[in-house]
Amino acid sequence: MCLHGCGILVEVRDGVALKIEGDPSNPDNLGKLCPKGNAGLSRLYDSTRVLKPMKRTNPQKGPGIDPKWVPISWDEAYEIVARELGKIRADDPRKLLCAIGDFQRILLWGWPAVFGSPNFFSSVGNYCGGSYHPTNGMIDGSFAGINDYEYCNYWIQVGSGDGFSAHLHLAGSAKRMADARMRGMKLVTLDPYGSVSAAKADEWIPIIPGTDRAFVLGMAYVLIHELKQYDSQFLRDRTNAPYLVRRDGNFLRDAEGHAMVWSLKLAAPQPWNTVAPDDVELDGEHQVSGLNVRTGFRVWADLLCDHTPEKMSEVSTVPADTIRRIAREFVEAAQIGATIKLGGKTYPLRPAAINFYRGAQSHANGLFDNLAFKLVNMLVGNLDIPGGHLGVPMDHRGFLISEGEDGMVRPEPHQLHPAAPFKYPPDSTHLAEWFPLGFDAGQLNAETFFNPERFGLTYTPEAMLMYHSNPLWNLPETDKLEKIMARMKFVVAIDIQRTESTEWADVFLPDHTFLESYLLNCLEPPVVTGHSLRQPVVKPVGDTKDAYEILTEIAERIGFRDDWNDLLNVVTGFIAKPKYLLDAEKSYSIEEFVDRYARSIYGDDKGLEWFKKNGHAVRHRTPEETYLPFGSLRIPFYFEFIKRTGDDLRQKFEQIGMKDWPLDNYQPLPFWKNSQVIEDGKAGYPFYAITFKEALHTFANTLVMPWLSEVSEKDAVHGGILVNSVTAAQLGITTGNRIRLQSPAGSIEGLAQVVEGIHPQVFAVSNAITRCFLTNDRQKQRGSHFNRLLTGSIRYTDNTTGGLESTARVRVEVIK
Amino acid sequence: MPAANISALGATRKMLGFSRRTLEFEHATVADLLRGLETSDGRSLYDNLVCGGKLLGNYAIVVNGTSLNSEQLNMPLQGGEEVVAMAILRHLHGG
Repeated sequence: MCLHGCGILVEVRDGVALKIEGDPSNPDNLGKLCPKGNAGLSRLYDSTRVLKPMKRTNPQKGPGIDPKWVPISWDEAYEIVARELGKIRADDPRKLLCAIGDFQRILLWGWPAVFGSPNFFSSVGNYCGGSYHPTNGMIDGSFAGINDYEYCNYWIQVGSGDGFSAHLHLAGSAKRMADARMRGMKLVTLDPYGSVSAAKADEWIPIIPGTDRAFVLGMAYVLIHELKQYDSQFLRDRTNAPYLVRRDGNFLRDAEGHAMVWSLKLAAPQPWNTVAPDDVELDGEHQVSGLNVRTGFRVWADLLCDHTPEKMSEVSTVPADTIRRIAREFVEAAQIGATIKLGGKTYPLRPAAINFYRGAQSHANGLFDNLAFKLVNMLVGNLDIPGGHLGVPMDHRGFLISEGEDGMVRPEPHQLHPAAPFKYPPDSTHLAEWFPLGFDAGQLNAETFFNPERFGLTYTPEAMLMYHSNPLWNLPETDKLEKIMARMKFVVAIDIQRTESTEWADVFLPDHTFLESYLLNCLEPPVVTGHSLRQPVVKPVGDTKDAYEILTEIAERIGFRDDWNDLLNVVTGFIAKPKYLLDAEKSYSIEEFVDRYARSIYGDDKGLEWFKKNGHAVRHRTPEETYLPFGSLRIPFYFEFIKRTGDDLRQKFEQIGMKDWPLDNYQPLPFWKNSQVIEDGKAGYPFYAITFKEALHTFANTLVMPWLSEVSEKDAVHGGILVNSVTAAQLGITTGNRIRLQSPAGSIEGLAQVVEGIHPQVFAVSNAITRCFLTNDRQKQRGSHFNRLLTGSIRYTDNTTGGLESTARVRVEVIK
Repeated sequence: MPAANISALGATRKMLGFSRRTLEFEHATVADLLRGLETSDGRSLYDNLVCGGKLLGNYAIVVNGTSLNSEQLNMPLQGGEEVVAMAILRHLHGG
């Protein structure tokens, strides 16, 4: 239902779960719950749950076709799955496509790799975090980011619902956001749509989707070129902004390979680690042995020369005066030079920060977007500083910080799995081998499947395993995806309820809900660390099993349970604590596995039994754990690493003779350039279409929960396709009209909902009305599957990270 | 005599034919320990994992929780180390 595990208390009487409340003892959510948490009972007792293993009896497959499921025993189900997947594995394990979306059980995501499949047939995670997570990892070894709720006084929120409707640990974050507002924190929200964050902000700035980067680049121009106010000490001492850059984009280096800085006293370049801080020049340009060199800071300052507020206003539609005013407010609120004492230690204090997530950067230039937000935060010296924009580690292990080159933090773009080395022909259908900085760009399956020769793929997938994933809903290009599904000889689904995708399955293996299963969860906690236990509060409602046990049994029957245990030894960290290693020759129940995992982290006195009694081991991160996690290392301002990665990749593509693979986003600094979405506007698509979420929903499965569906129905923002009242009047649209949005990729229809709170050039579709599998027929009429407007082609994909473009250009037609 | 524990995962487990063993040594480096382990092809684990002094990219050697680079294979052992030899699975999934 959600990535993040809020602490809950469940009232159970006579074996029946009656009520869910937040656990006030858990510092993560502070006793609060969002609607999804409260509605958990409606998932447990949902009459449409699949409660027994099922076998398809209708050989015909397609949208709307009844699989004619019949219940079977677990033994028969396992036998079928092991037989069919075993055949695939014996032939070529790459022929298995996998779609996995259960974030809380991220430890299980390696199952396909052990099977031998490199493939990822989903956009879960990549839809929002495709560029975001690699960028965070490249800067400070973090996985996500959040402004400092405790000390921030001026919060700019860009395309994000943090603290209001979505993203990190919503229940607790909403309380923290409210507390910050009560103490006087100012909130400015940039969003094309009047989201909850926009509605509750001190100022809402409507903006064209995908142009938030233009806004902050305009801010950077103002800070550097007009106000000339920025935290030069932070930039000089804590980043590589003073490192000297040659005109070819690489650092100037001495004979030993050290990056160089300019010594003001010597008036000459010196190795970066030999010059006292106050002798280092931050902003300069020089001739060195016939070479022109500039500091990294100067390179960006020069690049920004044509990013005036006036020019950025043309792109974003935000008035230039607003860009200037916000920049001035931002730097004034940042209090450059201020300090604060925390836990006996003095830190800089910079209580102004830009927070951003999906809407701001889930675009085809997503890497540039992320870099721009981070760099503008760095300009006021607030990165990982009290009051500022803080890195959020992926889990209890904290930040991935180690020393890299030139005194820098080693870039860690891959925190979920090691990078796949470049390979031609590629092994994976989503071309993971061609994205050394990237995530798993599942949307590229739609390109490679129908054009394998172009990519050199030497096999065709024949089977699919879906585990808590609905690829037909979460990926773009539904028509192509249905054709892919139709070619699968065997499909197995592990899930709780039927979905658009599970209807193509041959076997359905029903999983427990979160109220029936065990798990230790700690994922992306913004202010705390430590695990919460998921434990059964009732006996399983049906004949369901835990997904860990399902995957383990399938591995056992196919013959690779030993390798599966070995992989779990790696992903759990047991290899660093060998007394907890799983024996390759043994099968472990979920209780045994969770107990071992708990003890390996918290000690032998805090195993499963301790967690059953106490619920969690969550505590607040200390100031030492939160601020300046990179210590005396420098973080990148100028990303030579990205440039060099692109240079290396370019050489590899030249060697294989592939000249048309785009690599133009491998740049060391962000700037404005139009994406394909902007260009589509010139081809007769004058408007923009976006999708959004509210607190009621995260993934597809919450949309079919009866309580949440009923609440959604009562809120006008889920009443149809949102259109601005002025635009509606111009187009002759009134609330209730049936309208069609047509993009270059496809079209959707729905009921118009005329509102004030949306940019005049934008149409918005709540994800609450995007399921064709909704049981609520009224909701089905209001919208339809937003992703049909998107495409998975490389032109709409960030060519560094694989992040997909989540905005479409559309034209509008009134149907009736 | 000092001893170290060796755990082998995945492909290395199959090469060696065991998951875990305690090995005694005298004045040995990590590389020496790997050279002393015979694999199913009649060579040593070192010969299978290292080429030209460089640890092959598909494998990792982890000692007391720290993954070693090629140079660190010449690190002397003191006794009591936990050494893990494993193949690296790169195509895990993520989002």
